[in-house]
Amino acid sequence: MSTVETSAAIAAIVGAVVAVVGCAWHVRWMFSLPFKGDVATAKGSASKGVMYAYTLGMAPWEKESTRRHMVGYLRGVLFHVGIFAALVVFVASPWATVIWPSVRLLLAAVACLGGIAGLLGLAARFGEHNLRAISTKDDYFAVALVSLFVLTSALAVLSPSAVPVFYVVSAVTLVYLPFGKVRHCVYFFFSRFAFGVFFGHRGVIEGARSQ
Amino acid sequence: MGKSDNTELTKKARELLRKQVDRKLAAALETCVRCGICAESCHYYVADPRPEHVPAYRAEKLRQIYRGLFDPIGRIAPGWVGAVPVSDQMLDSLVETSFASCTMCRRCTVNCPMGVDNALVVRAIRSLLTATGRAPEMLEQLAEAAIMREEGLEYIKDLFLEQIAELENELREKVGDLKARIPVEEQGAEILYVALSGAHTILPASVLFYATGTSWSLSLFEAANYGVFLGDTPRAKRITQRIVDEATRLGVKEVVVSECGHAYTTLRWEAPNWFGKPFPFRVRSLVEVMAEWIEKGKLKLDPTRNRLAVTYHDSCNLARNSGLIEEPRTILNACVTDFREMTPNKQHNYCCGGGAGLVALPEFSEQRLNAGKPKVKQIKATGASIVAASCDNCRHQLGELNEHYEMGVEVIGLAELVVNALVLDKGRVPGKEPVVAATV
Repeated sequence: MSTVETSAAIAAIVGAVVAVVGCAWHVRWMFSLPFKGDVATAKGSASKGVMYAYTLGMAPWEKESTRRHMVGYLRGVLFHVGIFAALVVFVASPWATVIWPSVRLLLAAVACLGGIAGLLGLAARFGEHNLRAISTKDDYFAVALVSLFVLTSALAVLSPSAVPVFYVVSAVTLVYLPFGKVRHCVYFFFSRFAFGVFFGHRGVIEGARSQ
Repeated sequence: MGKSDNTELTKKARELLRKQVDRKLAAALETCVRCGICAESCHYYVADPRPEHVPAYRAEKLRQIYRGLFDPIGRIAPGWVGAVPVSDQMLDSLVETSFASCTMCRRCTVNCPMGVDNALVVRAIRSLLTATGRAPEMLEQLAEAAIMREEGLEYIKDLFLEQIAELENELREKVGDLKARIPVEEQGAEILYVALSGAHTILPASVLFYATGTSWSLSLFEAANYGVFLGDTPRAKRITQRIVDEATRLGVKEVVVSECGHAYTTLRWEAPNWFGKPFPFRVRSLVEVMAEWIEKGKLKLDPTRNRLAVTYHDSCNLARNSGLIEEPRTILNACVTDFREMTPNKQHNYCCGGGAGLVALPEFSEQRLNAGKPKVKQIKATGASIVAASCDNCRHQLGELNEHYEMGVEVIGLAELVVNALVLDKGRVPGKEPVVAATV
């Protein structure tokens, strides 16, 4: 291993540690905040509501907004699938050479599509009037950075020579994760949980309604 | 504004926000990725598609303050994450954002892929504005009036009882029974019925209580709670306390709330959490009670007495925020011959634009009437002559939309439709004159 490769790998490990510690801090902070359970007599089931929120409630056909913006929604889904593929590449990279070529190719394809989806999302953020009005600099930077992370993972899984570059991009992405908008990856779970509890308990979600 | 004033304001805002930020609000503040997919779910945006009407844009206003006060990056590099320092000007600009451009209907929440509760965020903004003396005066006055009614009850009680006695005469005339009553302070009654300030919320319910032989008592207080619209929980709790005390004093088994969206949501869902325990009585809407009467065959109805085409406006508070979705349909299918659904409907229905206290704010009537455009379109598409609504604020707004956009429909409550279709024992029907709104 060359000095560059070693340094990149150390940077990536440091990034991963910062990301994990940062996310853990956010989780701990959330659990330190008051959470009052709903004492009003239920009309439906909060647990069924939570199940719905994490499963069927995410389906594109379940919401008018996602039905209306199916292309944008699928672009987002693709981007996130690409992120997961990139994370798999990141974790598996030390053993990349022993991964079946077909699996490597699949990961590269998924990551490549995900990265392109991310860049298209970035373009939409620049181009759409509404999105520009609600975006912060962090929004642009985070999407660009994560797209780059995903795209370089595609390169890394195909060519070992690209691994150091991927590690450096990963290090930056992972260090930034707890500080910018990417930290929604932690808060998302709390938000969907609250959604499920609220609408499930009140019997708004059909499958959670008491008979 | 001097620097010291701003420091003081920042300190106060930080204190107020710190008190409010619990896990639910923090999730709502932290999760939004500003994808903008929520835009068309908002009736304001549909009526007037500009960025200020995107739900995420409104919520972002509080996030800007929140980041400046609580986010380390927001403190170090505010421009990077869009953090904004608290200032009088900033807070002043939030008055229209939170009181005139959002009805907290949660249509954006059900349409958000992340499930961000923007209503919670807007309520937090309202709370901040109320605490810093920026809430609309009318809401403040109405909340205070409710508290004063309790404090001066001994002075106004006689007048109230006189008015109820007059209504009682109308009830007797309507049902053709001189023994029919509108009981007040009836110890041991099974139900405490909490109406609004209008005979139209008392008389139809009285007819139905009479027809079903229900043991009930009319509350001395109104169901409306303007403390909720202000985002002022201590005041909202105090207004609710009057009803809780009355129900406890009379020993009722159940409190039934008039056809009113926010009053029902407040008493049914919010208030038990303010008191930290479930109430010793059940809370239901008159809509639920009527649906149960119909299902149990306690009401004999002749739907041919309501022959005109009827559509139903789902109140956001009752449907999307309380799950009262099938009950109104049970009622309508039993008491009208031609019921037509709006599209979309039920929990997906568009807000009429009158919620969250907006109908009480004349200074924002232009925005309110404009925001009602999607509802007007929905109603017109049904071709119905009658719009039924089970929320008084919605009825008020729909009535104004009807006039403003010349829809040529009649807006009516569910209880009135039921009374119109009611057949009393021995085939009698209540007085022919329809029940009309009048102020008590």
